[in-house]
Amino acid sequence: MTRRELLHKTGGGFGALALSGMLEGAAGSDPLAPKQPHAPARAKSVISLFMHGGTSHVDTFDPKPELTKRSGEHLSAELAKTIKTSFIHDPTKAVLRGSPWEFRPGGKSGLLISDLYANVREHADEIAVIRSCHSNVFDHAPAIYLVNSGSQFPGRPSLGSWVTYGLGSENSNLPAFVVMSDGSTKSGPPAYGSGFLPAVHQGTVFRGGENPILHLATPAGVSADAQKETLSLIGQLDRRHLASRAGDTTLEARIASYELAFRMQAEAPDAIDISSESEATKKLYGIGDPLTDDFGRKCLLARRLVERGVRFIQLYSGTNVGDDWDDAHTDLVGSHTRMAGKSDRPIAGLLADLKGLGLLDSTLVTWGGEFGRTPLAQGKNGRDHHPYGSSMWMAGAGIKGGQAIGATDDFGVHATESPFDAHDVNATILRLLGIDHTRLTYSYESRDQRLTDVHGQNEFTDRLV
Amino acid sequence: MITWRLLLTALVAIVVALPLVSEAAETLPQQAVEILHTRCSQCHGANVAMSDLRVSTREALLKGGKGGPAIVVGDAQSSRVIQALTHLIQPAMPPAGDIPADEIATLREWIDSGAEWPQADASAARDPKKTWWAFQKPMRPKVPQVDGARNPIDAFILQKLAETKIPAAGEAEPLALVRRAYFDLHGLPPTPRQVKQFLADPSRDAWECLIDELLSSPRYGEKWAQFWLDLVRYGDTSGFEQDPYNLDAWRYRDYVIKSFNDDKPYDRFVKEQIAGDEIYPEDAFAAAGTGYYTVGTHRDLLFKVEDLNRTETLTDYVGTTSSVFLGLTVGCARCHDHKFDPIPQRDFYRMQAVFAPITKTDVFLDYNPARFFGVAENSRTFRLRQIGDEISRIQKPYKGTIRERKLATLPKEVQVAFDKEPEERTPREAGLVQEYSDRLKIEQEEIRAELSQADLERIEAVERRLLGMFSGYGAPPIARGVTDISREAPKTFIALRGNPDTPGEEVGPGYLTSLGGGDISEPPLHANTTGRRKALAEWIADPDNPLTARVMVNRIWQGHFGTGLVKTTSDFGIRAGEASHPELLDWLATEFVRQGWSVKDLHRLIMTSDTYRRGANPAAGVAERDPQNLFLSHMNRRRLRAEEIRDAVLTVTGSLNAEMGGIPVVPPLEKEELYGMIGNPDNAWPVSPNRDEYNRRSIYLLSKRTFPHPMLEAFDRQDGVLSCSRRDESTTAPQSLTLLNSRFMMEQAQAFAAEVKTVDEAFSKVFGRGPTADEQASVSSFIESQTENRGSREAAFTELARALLNANEFLYVD
Repeated sequence: MTRRELLHKTGGGFGALALSGMLEGAAGSDPLAPKQPHAPARAKSVISLFMHGGTSHVDTFDPKPELTKRSGEHLSAELAKTIKTSFIHDPTKAVLRGSPWEFRPGGKSGLLISDLYANVREHADEIAVIRSCHSNVFDHAPAIYLVNSGSQFPGRPSLGSWVTYGLGSENSNLPAFVVMSDGSTKSGPPAYGSGFLPAVHQGTVFRGGENPILHLATPAGVSADAQKETLSLIGQLDRRHLASRAGDTTLEARIASYELAFRMQAEAPDAIDISSESEATKKLYGIGDPLTDDFGRKCLLARRLVERGVRFIQLYSGTNVGDDWDDAHTDLVGSHTRMAGKSDRPIAGLLADLKGLGLLDSTLVTWGGEFGRTPLAQGKNGRDHHPYGSSMWMAGAGIKGGQAIGATDDFGVHATESPFDAHDVNATILRLLGIDHTRLTYSYESRDQRLTDVHGQNEFTDRLV
Repeated sequence: MITWRLLLTALVAIVVALPLVSEAAETLPQQAVEILHTRCSQCHGANVAMSDLRVSTREALLKGGKGGPAIVVGDAQSSRVIQALTHLIQPAMPPAGDIPADEIATLREWIDSGAEWPQADASAARDPKKTWWAFQKPMRPKVPQVDGARNPIDAFILQKLAETKIPAAGEAEPLALVRRAYFDLHGLPPTPRQVKQFLADPSRDAWECLIDELLSSPRYGEKWAQFWLDLVRYGDTSGFEQDPYNLDAWRYRDYVIKSFNDDKPYDRFVKEQIAGDEIYPEDAFAAAGTGYYTVGTHRDLLFKVEDLNRTETLTDYVGTTSSVFLGLTVGCARCHDHKFDPIPQRDFYRMQAVFAPITKTDVFLDYNPARFFGVAENSRTFRLRQIGDEISRIQKPYKGTIRERKLATLPKEVQVAFDKEPEERTPREAGLVQEYSDRLKIEQEEIRAELSQADLERIEAVERRLLGMFSGYGAPPIARGVTDISREAPKTFIALRGNPDTPGEEVGPGYLTSLGGGDISEPPLHANTTGRRKALAEWIADPDNPLTARVMVNRIWQGHFGTGLVKTTSDFGIRAGEASHPELLDWLATEFVRQGWSVKDLHRLIMTSDTYRRGANPAAGVAERDPQNLFLSHMNRRRLRAEEIRDAVLTVTGSLNAEMGGIPVVPPLEKEELYGMIGNPDNAWPVSPNRDEYNRRSIYLLSKRTFPHPMLEAFDRQDGVLSCSRRDESTTAPQSLTLLNSRFMMEQAQAFAAEVKTVDEAFSKVFGRGPTADEQASVSSFIESQTENRGSREAAFTELARALLNANEFLYVD
């Protein structure tokens, strides 16, 4: 018997454990019940494509002809002294390095995007690139925390958890905030943690394999029948226990949580089962091609989760070991060819698919990472970490694509025109979801805490839509 | 300012209060609001809103409660407030006694004339900050004379219950009581024998004896230390990408456990942690208390930003110290004056100046071995390098041969890729190298299998040498703590808008202005340290400090009842509001000090009250009238905390290893549980070599900042980055999945089934009671049918164990 058959078969059995009205009772205190945003929302869900490890802006979305022209020269000492680097010992001594990739116009808009993202470039008209992101945090983990939680120190709630705190979820059978990585990130769980918000808002990591959620599978050796009987005994024990404690909604909610777990056991594998998708769709995402298969599957899963009402989905590209954008320290061409190669077709496929299904308007897709990379060469073949100017892009949510917002200087060193920091970006993402970042607060240690703390004044939604 | 506390005992209070009313509240709106505040806000205030009604704002009154709007502007007679006060509608208010007619007249006049709220600037004239109750030294209140009060706690509680006419629940069943006592003091369930012993004890003081017995067991410290570790953001690693081990952090963990077990007076506990090195220079164990500063996330690990590291570290010290010991959020005054509390920004930096001279140091717990540890470590490292050199010399030729052999089995193209220098490879070749690198991995066993006899002997010699070096090797008798760099401290400047790059005025160390203020004086000439922390510690631990004792008794209260008398246990500032039982809080605080700051006496006092011993079911109607159980008419049922669940499972299955203390234990995790860990698990999650260790109590498990233990995390264990004063008690599907399906639970259920032979025994172990006749019948058929499903009676008992360990009766304490 498959899990789904089991669910149907036992729906009356275990499902009947739910005392009448109990679920509603539990829902009254359900922190993930859907909530109204402050203002009409442009998007209902977010897919955050997080290229972690450091993706070079001057080789992807921020063309710098001047940099190419002056390749091999030094930055002025004055400018070089304004940046801190991780591995380049002395920025005044390092040389500029032009991009080895061509930038070409994409779409009707002619937005310039490099050959690294040639497939994404075909969707240039959907994409608004923000070329003036900046911070001064040049180590991976703190920079990842900063972008995700507004603080370079771990422990504050992440964007995804703030969003589910503010909006709840449309699907109680799946987690509201799903994270997919290649198994290991440079920042670990604090990047998608819930900090001082209730733990229910933290990101749930979907694992590989057929059971994406931890402990979803019935233990080895326990048949579906045996599991069902054990569940049924738990139900009996709990009902008897509750009978002499009538009205305790916490106990009721806990009984309901077994039912929810049971539904999750059915719905989560179903959500990740892509066998029902057409070959054309799979191909669109690059599934089947060894290079793009993995990230393609994640992107397709992201779409399936959006369809099911999951609020916030974050995909990490790159791991701490092996596949790593950060190999650009010593091998820019190799690392970026490989990592962009892994994600280009899947992301293009995601945009096309969302659009085709009419989901792009209600979904915000963001692409970015913790920082860019130095226009300066590190050693012979590399680029170092570079937070002072970097690029990200957004698509969907009614955003006017085909445009670039803000700019870095001629070499891509500093964000000079309309600089935006992590708070500005997060404030903008919240606003696209209908949330006023100054009003999304949670009281901790006597303060009404915000994702954007006291910042986010340069929220730039108006330039996007 | 008037607080409603003053009006509780009618006559005395009114005499005191009336002049204040007429003096302070001159305008009609002020008088009206004052009356609402004193008469109604206890049950309809900012914190408690019975029937959903609050009187704290005009909007709230207009909105009203379950019965509809509380006031109709311009029409007092139609306003429910007036109708209730004049008994025109039920329930009449207040529940006990009437309010004076002139007050009702004032309210009528106010509503009829438009129910304007007082102007903010007018109320600011009575600046609450200066008179905030928590900043006044607690005066020992008189214990009210209440019939049937077993101890003073009951007198205060019963008095309020009588006033609000909320009926109290009766005493809990003996089984519920004994479970409650074990979980509250040990975090563990009683064994069937322990239950039986208590139930069979006919003596009048059986309960008191049980509490004494539980308090004298070392299991007590293991339970209560966890709450303190949560507060001081304890972890065994330092955080960020590399998340290095904080190797000796566990010494502090053991220090806390021992401190609770020894019933160390709380004032001394405070002083040791803040300034043990300065106050008790001869007592290494006291100095180990300063590990307090070193067990948080290390905020000094960021690269090339030394100034930021220093600022963040000091900010953490100010924020954590003030919230943990004083229940004040001084951290909020980093960038500007505190928004709600009378804490000027200047105070933040005066407190920061106390910590400015701190430097981390080793505390020698055993002087000589500690002193020579460094030397021994030095020669050990030299010898390890020799050994490493020898191992690679022996293995190198074998590795080469094996690699060649493996490479030859791979496609030609891959071979070519591997033979190239990394920078010569094309992207495709780089990809191939990545993809196939696992195929070239060489295991130690493979090399060993091919060693020549001579090389095998060389390797064995190395192994003997290694064993010799490490027999008797262990953690050095060293704890991590802090001291001052010298008698001189670096200067401290107010950072304008919190930005250290824009320093303002220089400030010296001092105490909080709102608590009396004052400067900390210069140290004597011969001193080795600045004495600043000593001064701060003594000021905090002074019986006259209005906050210290109140904050601690409130934390212990929360530990027993789930909620503090002040809800925000780490924030006694103005946003905290009033305590639910202000006199009780003050009485407990003064009693705590009077009993020599003994935490165990405080437990004893609380647990021997009738209030603590009540059943967990509210009396009829109470759930509606006091849904938060603010008046403590019954006990709050609670779910076991994360560590208690794991420890209780280990206890009932007979697997618990009760060994205490020592280096952190790393239990094995499933592969899917390890998913998401940064780095190679061999280094990042090195499983303890000894299996017996796996089943130690949860407090001894490695607390890793970037990787919370999955089961404990599912049950709301905090992430250890920020100070946590109260755990969430969430109810989620992943919790159920963990308890149902994790390998840990399956193994425990199997261990249980291997020991337990009868249903009766199974129930007694897990619930402390035997099965009812109904249960006996249904479980018998369950066993029968599961024996068929799973093929053996033992497997059927495994299923029974899984069911019992998932049951609410096991996971909740009444």
